[in-house]
Amino acid sequence: MENHAFASLAHIRILLVPVGSIPRPVFEKYAAEIRTFEQIRLAELTTTNKDERARFMPNPLSTGHLHLSFPSHPPPQSQLPLSLFRISHFPLGVIGISSCSEADDISNLAQQFNTLVSDLFPSGGIHPMAKSCLIFESPGSAVPLTLGESSPGVVVIPNMMGNKKGYIGTLLENLCSQILGEFGVLVQTLESPLGNEYLNASLMPTLPPRSEFLPFIDGLKPDSRPSIPSYDSQPEISKSGFTLGAAPLKRNSSAATTHTQASPSHRQSQFGPPAASKKRASGIGVASSHGRLFKVLGDLFLLAGRTEDATVWYVTYSEAILLFKLPQDTAWHASALEGMATIPVLDAWAAGNGLNTSTAPSKEPWSDTTERLTQAAALYSKAPASDAGHDYGTLSYLYCCCILRHATLLFAIWSAKGWGVLAFTTLIQPGPTPYLPPTLSAGAKNSTVTLERLEILSGVSRAAISNTLAPVHGPWLLHLGARERISVLETTAGIYSCLGYRRKEVYVLREVLGCILDLIVCGREEDGAFRSALPSIHSKDDGIGNVSMRISESVAGNTGILSLLKYVCSVLGINLEAVRLSGSEDGEAQVEGEDSKPTSSQAYDEDIAEDLQEPFGLPELQVGVMREAIAVAEALPDHISVAQFAFSALKTLQAILSPGDQYHLYSTASRAITTAQRRGDPLTLEFWSGRPVISITISPLPLIRVPVEKPISALSTRAQSANAIITGSKDPFLYNPRRGVEQGQTLVVQHEELEFIIVLQNPYVFDLELQSVVLSTSGVPFETQPTRVVIPAAAFHQVVLTGKPLETGSLTIRGCIVQAPGGAPREFILPLATEAEEVRLSQKRSVIVCETERAKYSGLDARPWEKLHRRHQSKPQTSETVFKFLECKVVQEQPLLRIRRTSVTHGAIMLYEGEKSSLRMTLENVSSLPVDFLRLAFEDSTMTAAQQALTEGEMSIFETYETEYELLHNPLFTWSSKSTINIKPNKKHVLAVDCFGKGGCTYGTIHISYGCIHRSALDVPDPPKVFHTRQISYPIMVTVYQMLDCYNMDILPYHSSYRTPGSSGDAGWCLFSVDVRNTYGVPFEVTFERSQEDTDPESTTTIISPGSTARIVLPLKKMFLSQEHVSREIPTLSDRQFIVSKSKLSSEEESMNRALFWHREELFKCVQGRWREASGTRHGTLSLRKQRISLHMLDTLRMQKATVQLSIIHRTEDGDERQVRYQDNVFYPPIHEFVYLQGKVTSLSPTPEIFVLDFDLHPFQHVIYEGVLTSVPIGKLKQGDSREVLLPICFLCSGRFDIRAQVGMIDSGTSERGVSYGSLTAILGKPDS
Amino acid sequence: MSHHLFIVSPSDSPLYSLAHYSTKPTNSVASPLSANLPSWSTSAFAGTLTALSGASSVTHHTSGGGVRMGGGQDRHVIQMIANASLDVIEDVMRKENVMYLKSVDKFNEWTVSAFVTPGNMKFLLLHEGKNDDGIKSFFIDVWELYTKTMLNPFHTAHTSIRSPVFDSRVRASAKKYL
Repeated sequence: MENHAFASLAHIRILLVPVGSIPRPVFEKYAAEIRTFEQIRLAELTTTNKDERARFMPNPLSTGHLHLSFPSHPPPQSQLPLSLFRISHFPLGVIGISSCSEADDISNLAQQFNTLVSDLFPSGGIHPMAKSCLIFESPGSAVPLTLGESSPGVVVIPNMMGNKKGYIGTLLENLCSQILGEFGVLVQTLESPLGNEYLNASLMPTLPPRSEFLPFIDGLKPDSRPSIPSYDSQPEISKSGFTLGAAPLKRNSSAATTHTQASPSHRQSQFGPPAASKKRASGIGVASSHGRLFKVLGDLFLLAGRTEDATVWYVTYSEAILLFKLPQDTAWHASALEGMATIPVLDAWAAGNGLNTSTAPSKEPWSDTTERLTQAAALYSKAPASDAGHDYGTLSYLYCCCILRHATLLFAIWSAKGWGVLAFTTLIQPGPTPYLPPTLSAGAKNSTVTLERLEILSGVSRAAISNTLAPVHGPWLLHLGARERISVLETTAGIYSCLGYRRKEVYVLREVLGCILDLIVCGREEDGAFRSALPSIHSKDDGIGNVSMRISESVAGNTGILSLLKYVCSVLGINLEAVRLSGSEDGEAQVEGEDSKPTSSQAYDEDIAEDLQEPFGLPELQVGVMREAIAVAEALPDHISVAQFAFSALKTLQAILSPGDQYHLYSTASRAITTAQRRGDPLTLEFWSGRPVISITISPLPLIRVPVEKPISALSTRAQSANAIITGSKDPFLYNPRRGVEQGQTLVVQHEELEFIIVLQNPYVFDLELQSVVLSTSGVPFETQPTRVVIPAAAFHQVVLTGKPLETGSLTIRGCIVQAPGGAPREFILPLATEAEEVRLSQKRSVIVCETERAKYSGLDARPWEKLHRRHQSKPQTSETVFKFLECKVVQEQPLLRIRRTSVTHGAIMLYEGEKSSLRMTLENVSSLPVDFLRLAFEDSTMTAAQQALTEGEMSIFETYETEYELLHNPLFTWSSKSTINIKPNKKHVLAVDCFGKGGCTYGTIHISYGCIHRSALDVPDPPKVFHTRQISYPIMVTVYQMLDCYNMDILPYHSSYRTPGSSGDAGWCLFSVDVRNTYGVPFEVTFERSQEDTDPESTTTIISPGSTARIVLPLKKMFLSQEHVSREIPTLSDRQFIVSKSKLSSEEESMNRALFWHREELFKCVQGRWREASGTRHGTLSLRKQRISLHMLDTLRMQKATVQLSIIHRTEDGDERQVRYQDNVFYPPIHEFVYLQGKVTSLSPTPEIFVLDFDLHPFQHVIYEGVLTSVPIGKLKQGDSREVLLPICFLCSGRFDIRAQVGMIDSGTSERGVSYGSLTAILGKPDS
Repeated sequence: MSHHLFIVSPSDSPLYSLAHYSTKPTNSVASPLSANLPSWSTSAFAGTLTALSGASSVTHHTSGGGVRMGGGQDRHVIQMIANASLDVIEDVMRKENVMYLKSVDKFNEWTVSAFVTPGNMKFLLLHEGKNDDGIKSFFIDVWELYTKTMLNPFHTAHTSIRSPVFDSRVRASAKKYL
């Protein structure tokens, strides 16, 4: 792992490589074991020789440490120019790790190791300085391995060795000794004049292959040897930098001249770029100072753990720089400053703690270091890149490393809570997680409080770190090679992340992604074979370089890139996982499932909340980043993620996406889904498009299929039918709270198709395709088919879904299960909008709206999901809301009838008023159940108005009766119920319905209710309380012609002159007359019939031609109604409640009304009119009920209680009585002679009554009489009894006398006069002839 | 020299943005390291990288020379930088008791100054040169204009400002001070 550890300059890098076929975990295990050796004490190193190799060897008792780091990847070839400039950047040692079980393999492995090393490092370079191959014996090997003679540098570690770690430590010590020895050799080479020439040749010098170089060295050995001013590791120049620094310069110049002239052509051919050599040619040999050599020495001493020596050489170098002001060496100067900056930290670490130093109040203990680093960074950035192209990359890399070193320093101090042991440890050995200090927790969950606490403790502000780090970013990043660039950016992002600067982190992460994707895309275009030879480019995700599209897609590393993408987007406010993946099996899906996948009902609430979210983030940026994310996923390629991202964007960013974008996203996603499906991706997407289902309703069943629930008791009592007709089917209560409840449950029938109307919406600009829409039901099993729907763009769409309930019971329709093409189905519940639900939703909305207005959380905390999370946290989890869903009651299978045919043509009948006819309906049972219950109910157009008038109750009692009578006795249709009807399946039945021509009727309806009641009791254990019927309604247009008009009814007295002589009056008869007018175009024959008791029926018949009027006259016997009959109240035909008589009539008026009413009723019973078409067969009745009866008519009609008959009797002497001559009720009595006036009273009353008789004579003064004229008692008479009263009178003059008699009745105190009258006329004076 | 103003709501969405190009020459000195950049990109992703690292503006600068008038500055990148600087601003505004945070952040060639109103609205200004006083006056002007806009009872903290009057006045102020 390449990291930008602060102290990397002091690290001896030892490359760990696997050799042979060692499994990765085994390698990792041994590598981890080796990596535990982070430091080696100088004292533990063994000094073997005393030649130049011993120069960097520590003194036996020195206290320093060697710091080791163990990368597992070699640096790229492109960094070779740094090989002398920064020796620490390269692996100085190589350890091969191998496991082996058989002895034969060892030499083989050793050879492999050597090949590997020579592959990794250019031949002839100075690296590696030491190598070793560790062969670990596999646990399974039986034979102990022995090391062959021919393999130097190969160490076999037996399996059974106990203290493996100690042994490895020893080996490492040996390796380090070897390296330190090589340092000496290197310096010796550089110290030679030729070496120094090479060192000064260019900005980033390299040494030529050692094979060409060594002869010079060897030859010059005696010369160069004394040129080293120090024999041991302590340079004398430390005492006086100037003089001692000058000495080597002088010596060098002399030496250089000789060698430059010796082989100029040879050297020139060695230098890399020709341009560079040309440019530098003039400088070579002239001004080759030892400045760089000092710096190299400093670097090497730093590596060797001898910080004092290093400081001395760095200082020497700096002074030399200051003296000679070498402008081209700014980079070297900067590097030296970096090295010097490292030293205090190393020293502080070695001292064990830095606490005592941190007590200095005036300055921060690290201020020197930071100053040096700042200076170094400035120098790097100003360094002139003399050579074309190549140096830019290297310089930029050095510059970035320097900035990162600086930032890492501050970051380590900050994260370690100050300048202390922890900080030093982190600075020197960052450990396995360099970007995550132990004081912080992983997962970006550090609260601001934690971060700020660190600031206060350490005295380093995060802004300062950020400001230090910011200059690392700039256009120069493009100079870097891909690997360095990713490494620099990663480090930057890591630090930003720990600082809690997530937006900055994301900025950098986007670049990281850009780099990686660039590599992937370019890598595909290159030849695969070439790439496989190279070591895979290391990055955050191993194996990305291996993704090769053409051969076989390797998805390794894709998840890493995708999670990075998601993180980037989430910080910018885009939830790329708004549409979840639902896997059919392992892995991610399971993990996602853990965070309590919301149930449908919770999702329902969340959907509502989502609608009201406020916008977050920069819309333009979001669209851009989202496009990039999709491009990245497409480039990987990860089709399911492409679809996920695209759909998530559509879902969450719909408001800010332009139509073109929406369309593009949709098509991209659809394509990706198709590809993913074709390739058998086990993951699918959840439904994404918001909330497509808006409403769901049961489409009402066709009327003939609607089952009606009736209580079983209705079967037994059917007496209330009359009442129902009169009051209508209305509820007696204006407000009935139960009515709504009853309507809530729809009745549906088992095994019959139900239709549901579903309204879907599509807010997008493209046509949304839904692969399936299914009803989601609970309760009884429901058989339904999914439907494929395409919702037009930006529209609401209505879909009809059908299904069949399979059992009886309650069916709940929860909502819809919707599935997008290639996605997972999702249920959308649709609770009924009950009042409680509405309240709940509005509360929820208002809470959100209320929060929206306030900016309580700002910045990243204001991201929608963060807020949602917080809201859920803060609110105590309310109990699960119980939704009320659309419910249906499924009832048993019902039979189905249909009207096969009727005798009505065109659904209309034409009737004359009062006509009676009949129509026939043929019903067919089209179901498999028999119909054993059939009822007919009728309705006509006059009923409603009449019922309403009755309900209003404004009519008089009389009118009320008339209306009720009409309703009850003259319905449009009547049906004489026959015995039980049973229509077997697939059989027909004929119904005959009578029709009556009712005036004013325009239409009528026949309702046929039927059902199957007597089912086999097997399936239902307890007898049901209800039964169900279905109804067929058959509307009929009715036309009623009013052709005969009765009016002017009258009852006339029947004068007795025509009849029995001597009777007192009309003798019980009267005349009924009525005018009948024919207003139609056809002649009618009208017959009025009289049927009265005690008389023969009589009728009169007239043909009335069109337009003419006929008066019908019919003699009628007067009728006598008993008192109690007459005094009965006018009945109401219905038993309506609350009938309060509104008439304020006196009791007399009341009784008269009653008398009128009852007599009229009696009259209509006696007299009935009929009509018949004169030239046809149609016939009917003629109603008289519109006729009124007047008081006069009543008097005529009513029979008196008694009759009086007057006559004059002449009594002879012999007592013979002889009636006086009379004619036509005119008597001619003799004058001046006593005659008797006889009054004969006959009682007609059925009860015995007491009568009195009054006489009235006129002119009174010319008559003499005996006795009294008034109140002549008659006495009690029974019915039919008569009694005569004789009054002797004598007419005193001739002339005309009128005599009247009046029968009165004395009944319990009240005397009723004028029950009956009699009169006669006497004419006197005409002599008897 | 160009300036970019963003008025950012507490939920990080920009309510108003303005790009102002003044005639003053840019006085920032580019690092020699940013010279001689590769002008070609290997893939579309490298293009993103180029834009984000700020290279595109630099190359334009060097080739065009003198004043840049909008071209070559990726609006997307400007927004990214403005968004990224919110990190530092949120951090600093918690600790400092002032509204005007001058040069609070630097990224690529841009310096970010900010002004935080008591209602947690943030005015961000991306600028290149150093003009502390001018920027402060500009911010105060914008604040006043913003406050006047907020007097509208129908204006919430999340309503984007579309008023042409506001726009013209901010532009006038920018011309005056920047």
